[in-house]
Amino acid sequence: MTNRIRVLRAEYDWSQAEVADRLGVARQTVVALEAGKYAPSLPLAFKISKLFGKPVEDIFDAESAT
Amino acid sequence: MNAPNPTREATRRYTVEILVCMVAYLAILFPAIWALNSGITGPLRIVIALAPVVPVIFVFVAVLRYFAKTDEFERRVLLESLGIAGVMTALLAVTYAFLENAGLPHLSAWWTWAAFMGSWLIGRLIVSRYYNA
Repeated sequence: MTNRIRVLRAEYDWSQAEVADRLGVARQTVVALEAGKYAPSLPLAFKISKLFGKPVEDIFDAESAT
Repeated sequence: MNAPNPTREATRRYTVEILVCMVAYLAILFPAIWALNSGITGPLRIVIALAPVVPVIFVFVAVLRYFAKTDEFERRVLLESLGIAGVMTALLAVTYAFLENAGLPHLSAWWTWAAFMGSWLIGRLIVSRYYNA
């Protein structure tokens, strides 16, 4: 599953550690999310959506869902 | 910044708890070995022999607490690595059991423990590598 977390993070000028702290997850979790290796749960996806102020479907690409 | 990161806190607490368990293990192990070598008999001998298991149980209590408090991805990594460890240990145990049938020396149950801990580490490396984290 691909997503735009890395791009959005760059727009906000946040480090992976900063995003991790804002989401309450480990930095490794942000790494795995950005790499598209891990699809988040619905609650975490909504937390990410709230953090970047964008709807879930603007951040995650359902077409390439695995 | 904002609220403290619960996952970071879970990792910190887990590290502290594991260290405490290790110190407790060493503090119990050597007196227990000494007591067993001094020739104590009867039910007390069994109690003394089992004493070092107590801090080992608390290691798994710490793992469970970490599991409950960490984030969903770390939880998955932990579960998958434990799954790999379980399968690898089962395969190693059954393979060696058949080799014993062929005449290889009978091994201590310690080797099953060592195999589990070793394959847990290998499992962790495999899973971390897969997730690129």
